[in-house]
Amino acid sequence: MSPHSPAIDQIDTLLWIGFAAAVILGVAAIGGLLYALGRNRAGRGAEPRQVTGGAGIQLRVGGALGVFAVTLLVLGIVFTDQARQAPATGPAGLQAKGGEPLTITATGQQWLWRYQYPNEAFSYYRLVVPVDTEVRLKLVSTDVVHTWDVPDLAAKADAVPGKTNEVVFRADEEGTYDGRAATLSGQAYAQMRTAIEVVSPARYAAFVKTRQDDIQAAQDRVVKLIENGETP
Amino acid sequence: MSAPRNPELVVDGFPPRRARWAQLATSPDHKDLGRILIAGALGFLFMAVVELLLMRLQLAVPENTFMPPVTFNRMLSLYGATAIFLFALPLALGFFYYVAPLQIGARGTALPRLGQLGTWLFVGGAAVLYATFLFTPPEAGVNPLPPLSGLVYTANNGIDAWLAACGLATLGFVLISIDLVATLRRLRAPGMAWRRLPVFSWSAAISAWLTIAIGAVLLAAIAMLLIDRNYEGIFFAGSAGGAPLLWQHLSWIFYTGAYMLILIFALGAVAEIAPALARKPLFNRNAVIGSLVAIAVLGTLAWMQNMYTAPIGLGWMYFAMVMSLALIVPFGLVLFNLIATLNGGAIRMRAPLLFAAGAIVAIVIGLASELSHSLVAAGWRLQHTTDSTAATHFALVGGAVFGGFAALHWWFPKMTGRTMGETLGRLSFWTMAIGLLVAFVPLFLAGSEHDQVIDAYKFFAGEGLDAYNLIATIGAFVLAAGIFLTLANAILSREGGRPAGHDAWGADSLEWFALSPPEPHNFDQLPDVRSARPMRDIRAAIAHRSAREERPARERQPVA
Repeated sequence: MSPHSPAIDQIDTLLWIGFAAAVILGVAAIGGLLYALGRNRAGRGAEPRQVTGGAGIQLRVGGALGVFAVTLLVLGIVFTDQARQAPATGPAGLQAKGGEPLTITATGQQWLWRYQYPNEAFSYYRLVVPVDTEVRLKLVSTDVVHTWDVPDLAAKADAVPGKTNEVVFRADEEGTYDGRAATLSGQAYAQMRTAIEVVSPARYAAFVKTRQDDIQAAQDRVVKLIENGETP
Repeated sequence: MSAPRNPELVVDGFPPRRARWAQLATSPDHKDLGRILIAGALGFLFMAVVELLLMRLQLAVPENTFMPPVTFNRMLSLYGATAIFLFALPLALGFFYYVAPLQIGARGTALPRLGQLGTWLFVGGAAVLYATFLFTPPEAGVNPLPPLSGLVYTANNGIDAWLAACGLATLGFVLISIDLVATLRRLRAPGMAWRRLPVFSWSAAISAWLTIAIGAVLLAAIAMLLIDRNYEGIFFAGSAGGAPLLWQHLSWIFYTGAYMLILIFALGAVAEIAPALARKPLFNRNAVIGSLVAIAVLGTLAWMQNMYTAPIGLGWMYFAMVMSLALIVPFGLVLFNLIATLNGGAIRMRAPLLFAAGAIVAIVIGLASELSHSLVAAGWRLQHTTDSTAATHFALVGGAVFGGFAALHWWFPKMTGRTMGETLGRLSFWTMAIGLLVAFVPLFLAGSEHDQVIDAYKFFAGEGLDAYNLIATIGAFVLAAGIFLTLANAILSREGGRPAGHDAWGADSLEWFALSPPEPHNFDQLPDVRSARPMRDIRAAIAHRSAREERPARERQPVA
């Protein structure tokens, strides 16, 4: 997987740190166990020496493990904090008045993602965002708990009914990023997917404008039909 | 039956008054109840494996239509409830309940009718869960999160049955644990101070306290969800001012605590097996016991590690990370002491030790992988993927299946008087070991590399997941074959196994002083405990007296 946002860079680094820590501890424990099992098979001989260990060695081993744990904790906090830092909108991004981030609301509902843009336009399944722009995604749910999951772009986060969760990301490259829901939400859960389309600010503006116009046209048509006494 | 040494104290068994099944159904004896729990747990292990295989068949190829989505969700829900509530927990508690009173030199338990009620509540819970095949099985997943498990989104009775089944079983576990706590506090043999208590009995004490704590939490959550579903409650209704996250907190406290309980059970059993089969005392008893206590406390306090994606505030996530990472110290110390015990010993590599080693390796792989999940930002990436499925299965299959089979091979001679077949045991072990690796290593890769999500009834072609899932399915079948071999071995060895004698392994704890299988009252004579290795003292005393009087040691007691 190739990272395409600043947060994903930090998360990837932390993943490698976690993997390295797992390998170090795993190899030490499993290696020690297999070594002890392999080297000390019972032969014909006397009872093995009945040795036990005192508190000193326990403190040394426990202390070493403690130092390891604290190191991991510090690294975990450092990289998590960096992954959460709001990435400022770059020169190629959508320049908003006052440097406000672009705020979009993502609503999870069985079994679709609905995206609400700042100017009343909305879209289902597909989210279009401008490149190099700080995007603040508000996650809400109308029914059950859903998890918004676009691994190449941002951290996972839950949409919980009655609560608002938030994901902040900045896509550094144009392209389409696949995403999915990651918490069991009922029968069509596996079908609940999404795609994030990262485009230039100009194309983003055009997209939102078109959506807005289309939605307005559709609404006008329905209103007109009702006024004419027809069923829409 | 050996000649009674103290004829005035020995009753050679009353004539059986009732049929065996009637005796078993009405018995408050901890050994009968322990056997019901263990046998029931192994039966439900079979069911859980079958359910896992059906789900793996559905996930063998992309976009498979072997199973409709709702059937898959039902299998998933049944699998989770069966594996945790009907297999792992009753197996651990069953062994604790059977072995701990014997290890402390008690003639029974302190509150036998409470333990009997607890055991039959577990049986009742199991009956409720599997009775759902007659109407609708639950379908809201391993942890049925509201609002999905609320009445609005799952209107059928499956969830109510899940709640009733898991509630009854959990209440049963709490009652058994109360009996265990009372027994361990009140009925220890003369001289059996806490500092001399065998490590497995310490595991029993820790696990019993832990069950009482986390069981109460789950029972509260279950009561609330039952009220929500049946009496128009709004505890968890997100739209009506309720708190869906409250269920997540309460249920994860239970599941995380249960996870720790299973590991404490396995480590406790290994801490009995390793010293005996290496013929060395445990390297440092106090460090192991202290570490097991720390695992219970720290591990359960890390429950919010499962909620890194939920809107709970970063500080709580850091709190969970601190607790998870702190676990490195006690787990590391237990492993260090087990390895130091084996090192320099005279190791007899018998089936129990083989399974014990397998348990340790699998638990280490599982816990080491969980490390990345506990680092908050890495958890955002890895959680909800099959990487967490794989990590959890390594740790829990390691703890409950490998650890449980180690305990089964170890105490089977005490429970039946016969040893389980060694050849079949070895065959089963290696099949299981290969199966576990082939089944779950691909899921690590599918989850961490390609973000395959958990609990989904299908995956899509062209996302790099096809090979991983096919291999995982093949591995699951190999793992299942290995598990079935040990289940068959246990059934065959009950009648046909090699007679084991009373002191089957030369271990140091008091259950080997009782007959195999023990009499209803456990001990004719209560030994005077003078050290943490009472059976070794008894053996030495017998050898000393035999040498002096030139008489054979107790009949049918091979002193290993």
